[in-house]
Amino acid sequence: MLGEFEYLLIGAAAGLGDNAYGAAIREEIEATTGRNCSIGALYTTIDRLEAKGLLKTWMGAATPQRGGRAKRMVRVTPKGVQAAKDFYDVVTRVSRGASWVANRTGSAS
Amino acid sequence: MTNVDWSLVEVAAQLLKRDERDAVLGDLVEAGGESAWQGLLDVLGLVIRRQALRWRSWRPWLAAFGLALPASLLLMGFSLSVSWTYQHFIDPKVPQANGLMVGPGLWVLACRVFLLIGWSWTGGFVVGSVSRQTLWVSIASGCFPCLFCLARFREESLSRLCLLLFLAPAILGVRQGVRIIRIKMGSAIVLAMAVTALVIPARSGMGPWMLNWGLIWPAWYMVATARKPG
Repeated sequence: MLGEFEYLLIGAAAGLGDNAYGAAIREEIEATTGRNCSIGALYTTIDRLEAKGLLKTWMGAATPQRGGRAKRMVRVTPKGVQAAKDFYDVVTRVSRGASWVANRTGSAS
Repeated sequence: MTNVDWSLVEVAAQLLKRDERDAVLGDLVEAGGESAWQGLLDVLGLVIRRQALRWRSWRPWLAAFGLALPASLLLMGFSLSVSWTYQHFIDPKVPQANGLMVGPGLWVLACRVFLLIGWSWTGGFVVGSVSRQTLWVSIASGCFPCLFCLARFREESLSRLCLLLFLAPAILGVRQGVRIIRIKMGSAIVLAMAVTALVIPARSGMGPWMLNWGLIWPAWYMVATARKPG
């Protein structure tokens, strides 16, 4: 099963679609979670997920706003989508009875 | 970031592979708001993570501390033994040095020279092929005992360089190991058998010399990992 950060990364990459690359994914994770995302954690996790076949990466074109440096583009593979879906299902199921989940059968309001 | 600050980040990024360096530096330029210090920490953090990941495998441990470190110690001792054998060969009046049994004649000298070359080359080859990405640590592990022994060397009849006779074949072995990783099965078997067979005429007494038998395993490791025919 995926780890928490792996899920965040796949989720961010999936949400960004064709615009998913290092800096954009990092910005998305930081904006969504409110936590700092180090470049080290980002790129080592991307490598790990790529090794597992959950992501595919390639070097994109260089752009002037990046000082003429290329982006490392990221795409979530079908296997990655399935792994993220499995993780989401497990989190949803395990949270079903938790007090913080809205619309819970019984006491929650 | 100022030009000076940015230069520091770029220097640190040289430790990354080319594509990754491009992506990371581009990300930092694009982010813009980060201080140079933060950018430097980001790059160094990635470098450290990359190095640390490599050490999760058994290979760098074997290369650096299972082979380079002990083999350099043993090979220095054997280099010295070869030097004494040579000294005794050219001048038999030289007394047996430091209690070592120095065998007679050209045959023993030749066996020892070939054995030194064989052990050094195979050891270097395995160090180079087992873990290329952490080669610098393996080299440091091998150099540390050399520097220590060179500093403490007190034998008047021999030059300090006699300790380092193994160095040239070992360096050649490392270079070959990094480049070709595995040799052909036939060559590996011949090499391993030759190195093993040479031990018998080249050995001198028991005791500490017996440790040198441990230098045979790289040759047999090369057989185990050799390219299979076809």
